Formats: sequence, C-alpha cells, structure tokens
Amino acid sequence: MRTRPKVLSAKALKRHGGGGFSMKHPIPLVLLGTLFTVAAPAADLNVTTTTIAQQWKQDTPGFDKANFLPATEFLGVDATGLGSQNLSLHLFGWGTRDLQDPSSVEGKGTGNLTYGYLQYNFDQANAAIRAGRFIITQGAGNEQLDGISARTDLRGGFNISAFTGAPVAYKNLSANPQAEIGNQQNMMFGTRLGLRLPRTGEIGVSYLQDGSNTSIEASATTPNYTRKQMGADLHLAPCTWFDVTGRTLWNLAQYVNLGVPSRVAEDDYSLNLKLSETVKVSGQFVERNLASYFAGSTLPNLFNASAAGVFKATGGSLTWTPGGPVQLVVDARRTARENYGDSTRCGADLRFTFSGGLLAGGGFHRVNAFRVVQVDPANQSYSLSHDEARVWAMWTKGAWVASLDAIRFMYADAAVNPDLNFKSSETEVVGGLGCQLSAGLKVSGDLTYETTPIYTKQVMGLLRVEYRFGLTGLGGK
Amino acid sequence: MIRKLTLLATVLGLGLMVACALVSPAASFAPTHPQALDQGRPTCSECHGTDRVKSTDKTFESFNHTPTFVKNHKFQANQDAGTCAACHAQAFCADCHGGSVAMLPSTKLADRPDREMPHRGNYLTLHRIEGRIDPTGCYKCHGRANNDQCTACHK
Repeated sequence: MRTRPKVLSAKALKRHGGGGFSMKHPIPLVLLGTLFTVAAPAADLNVTTTTIAQQWKQDTPGFDKANFLPATEFLGVDATGLGSQNLSLHLFGWGTRDLQDPSSVEGKGTGNLTYGYLQYNFDQANAAIRAGRFIITQGAGNEQLDGISARTDLRGGFNISAFTGAPVAYKNLSANPQAEIGNQQNMMFGTRLGLRLPRTGEIGVSYLQDGSNTSIEASATTPNYTRKQMGADLHLAPCTWFDVTGRTLWNLAQYVNLGVPSRVAEDDYSLNLKLSETVKVSGQFVERNLASYFAGSTLPNLFNASAAGVFKATGGSLTWTPGGPVQLVVDARRTARENYGDSTRCGADLRFTFSGGLLAGGGFHRVNAFRVVQVDPANQSYSLSHDEARVWAMWTKGAWVASLDAIRFMYADAAVNPDLNFKSSETEVVGGLGCQLSAGLKVSGDLTYETTPIYTKQVMGLLRVEYRFGLTGLGGK
Repeated sequence: MIRKLTLLATVLGLGLMVACALVSPAASFAPTHPQALDQGRPTCSECHGTDRVKSTDKTFESFNHTPTFVKNHKFQANQDAGTCAACHAQAFCADCHGGSVAMLPSTKLADRPDREMPHRGNYLTLHRIEGRIDPTGCYKCHGRANNDQCTACHK
C-alpha cells in the first residue's frame, strides 16, 4: 500500500488478467449475489467480515506529498449443509476504495474474488469435488484457478487428484505485445498420484501444464514461458523423532533458442529431528535453476526465465523449549547465487508465553551479504549486509488486547548502496489496542510510525472492525 | 452413428465401473476438529501422543505448529490439505496466499505480532536487498500473481 501509486484502468486490469474485478464490471457482483442466494438455506452458515480504514501521509524526497485514505472490506462466507450435509459453499473476497486519492493503486476502487466455490465431500475415500474459483496447492501447482478439481483415495494406499480450469492470473506482463509472446496459458491442468506408505508417510508424483497448445518456438526476443512441470514429492515421518519433507521439480517444456542449463527446476528438502522433548533441530537444502524454475512466470522482466543462474541455500535451526514460558530458536542459512555471490544469515529468536495473557518475543539476525557489482568506476561494488532487530509484545486482559511491535534494520553500506539514500537504518513501531465487544464483534486500531531510507517519515493510522456470524471454530485464530 | 454412441457409452460405463472399484471403501476423515482448540499455536502431540493422523499415516508430531512448521508448512499443505482444513478455513491461508491481496498481511494483522507474517517493517527498502539475495523467494507469491504492485516499478 505504500509504494508509489500506479494507475491501472479497468481496461488495463482486464488486459492484465489480474483476477481482480473493477467495480465497473457487474458480473462478479451478480455472481456474488447468486452465491449468497445459494448459501441462504444452509444448515450452518458462517460469515466473517473485516472492515479496515487506513490513513497516512507519504513524504518521499523528490515527489509530491500524497495523502491516502483507503477503506477495505474483506468478506468470507462458509456455508455447509446446502440440501445435503456434504455440500458446502466457500467464498472470500475483498474490495477497497480510496476515499481521498483516486490515483491509488489500481484506481479509486478495486477488489478481488479470492475464492468462491462449491464443494461436495463424499462419505468415503476422502473424496471431494470442488467447482468455481479456488486456490490450488497440489503437486507442482500453487494457483488461483476458475475451474474444477477432484481427489479421492484409492485402494492399496494410492490417492489421486486432478484439476483444470482457467488461471486467474495468466497474462504475460512483458512489455512486448501479448500476440508476439504467444504463450498459450489460456487454461491449466494438473494431476497428482500419491502412495501412502504404511506407518511411514507418503510419496507422490505430479504434473502441471499451462496451455492447451504446444509451446511456440522461442527466440531471443520472444522467450517462451510455457510450463510443463513434473514433480516428485515426499513426506516421511516413520517415528516421532524423524521427519523429512521434500520435492524435486522438472521442467519438461521444449524450448528453442533458449538456453536451459538444467531441466531440474527445484530441489527442496527439509529434515527435522526431535533430539529430546525440549530440543529439535532441522536442516534444509534448496537448489533452484532459475531458467526452469521461472518457467510460467507472468512477470518475466523480473523473474526472467532466459537468465541463466542457480540459487542454492543450506541452512539449519535449533529450537529449544526448556519448559516454562521460554522458547529459543537459533538459525543460520548460507545462500549462493551464481550470478551475484554468497550470503549468510544467522541469529536467534526468543518467545515468551507468560500466564495472565502476556505473549512477548524478540530476535536479532545478522546478514553478511555479497558484493553487488555496479557500473561505477569509483565504487565498483557494494555490500548488502545488514542487521535486523525486533521486539514485540501482546497482552490480553478480559475483552481488551494491546500490542506493540518494533523492528529496526541497520544497513552496512549506506554510503555506497544506491538504494539507501545515504541512510543507514530504518525503524518501524506499531502500537495497537483492541476490544472484543461481543463474541462476534471486535474493534481495534493501530498506530504506525516509520522512518525509512525512502520515506523521510510516515505516521499511519488504521481502524479495524471484525464481525463474525456463526462460530464453528474454523478460520484460524 | 448409433453404433459409435453405443460403443462410447459402453466404454464410459466400463471405465466408470473400474474407477468405482478402485476407490477406497474407507470412511472419510472428520472434516472438522471435534473440539475447539486453545488460543495460540497447537501442539497436536500433546493430546494425540505418538498416534498417527488417520487420513495421512503420518505422526501428529509432524503437524505440531513449531517455529519450523510455521515457516515451512508447504509440504503438509500440499499433501494434506484436508488435515489443515480440519481447523483452518481457506480464508486463513488467503491472508498471505490469496493470489491478489488488498494489503500487506503484516498490515492487515498488525494487531497479531505473535504470528509469522511476511514483510514486516517497511519492506520497500529491504526487498531490494532480499530480492538480490534470493529472487526465488519472491517468485513463490509474486511470480504469477499478486504482482500489480511489482509492475509499478519493474516494467
């Protein structure tokens, strides 16, 4: 919300295929009304709304001062028992309108139907079918989709799932005209076959493809980002002290005139060991080949599939929970990016859970980053090293909740790093106070103070009204 | 034409019968957790001990909401979305993974400093640093969606 405003017309929004809907377009509103009508006779209806009004003044050196006064409404509906106990409707979306500045991001009013689908759960085999707009996290896919998906357990420990539909965000945002890029991401489909290993865990293979047509020939000026991705995943937990998760993704798309150094898009594996009731350790290994990993990007000028490079990271953490109110996490991570260099990040976080409703925590991390090359004979490189410190507390007493969150970054190379405007630190402090007026109604407000290398100073106010109708315990607390 | 339709119907019917025969006869997992949970991060194994989640055959320990789990829960969400759904409505996930979000999750939930939220602080400065260190970390959320803010500068 705090970046330099950008104006996107309704036409532009549609061109970008952004999944959002302009208030000028009535069809999604009609759809919302229809869904509400469907939900009305539900046996169990849960509605959550959150209204947030914000106000801040933005003072950026070199730009005019700007005032913002956006009001945002989030609406969620979960209705079960629609004729049958197995049929349910799930809906979540938001709309925002800047009451003061019409040049706010995406125009004066905008919104998004995040998901809205009907789901039927079968009484056996954990089988389910859903249709509508939903977010899929299945196999290699993590997509917002207008379509249909289904899953079921099979005999012998197998399970299978599949989805297909039109991706909500699919247009390539390159400066080149869409016609020249010609990727065929007008639809998407994917499937996953899993095998449950008795008392061990599960392994699976998956496939995801953008587009109904084969990929076009790519050239240096018209790179092809079509994605045909195969994945293998595992989660093995044979005993309480051992847990390993991971996946490997392969990019199977055939590119012409586009150097793809490796078909392996990603290796991502984590090992968790419970050494005792109080000590747990974990390790992680990640390797991503950017050319294959970024296939399917809708923002290729930032995530460029034609730019070769490998990113690797190894890290680990130790969690110590000695009993009582304290929890300590010590972590370290080393990264290597082929085209830029290495970095290390290490530090610790403390968390306290006191009786009487007081939660508190804090942490400190140091990042020793690589030398970034820049075209400047006087300063041919600069450091990205920085320190991060944070303290926070949250106190609940009866109907009242108070919170405080302070974070500070200290940058090592402010004199040379062109992004820092010669400022070596930034600070943000957020204070909040809320009151649970009834079981379903909560009112709260935040006040934020910031000094950053980009904004000289910002003070922001936020008023939040949350209302829940129907409480089944779902929703995350 | 009638022959072709008959053949098609026969193949579809046989396919459906085979598919139904392959489906597991086991009863589905409970769609919701039977008891309300206390405030804060749940430790499933406190109540369930060394048992295994019936629908996944993994230990409840694997689903304890430890700091490691909170930061790296994608594998559980990928394989066992049904287990997540026993306690979480999808709106809980959409706070961060909504495809297109109205505001930073850390702004929407600024009154919950106890939760792990991406982009705390004014992330505008820091993203120039972290994006150079690890662009793949940005790609997960901004590579295909939720990137209208990105295109304001990264044209």
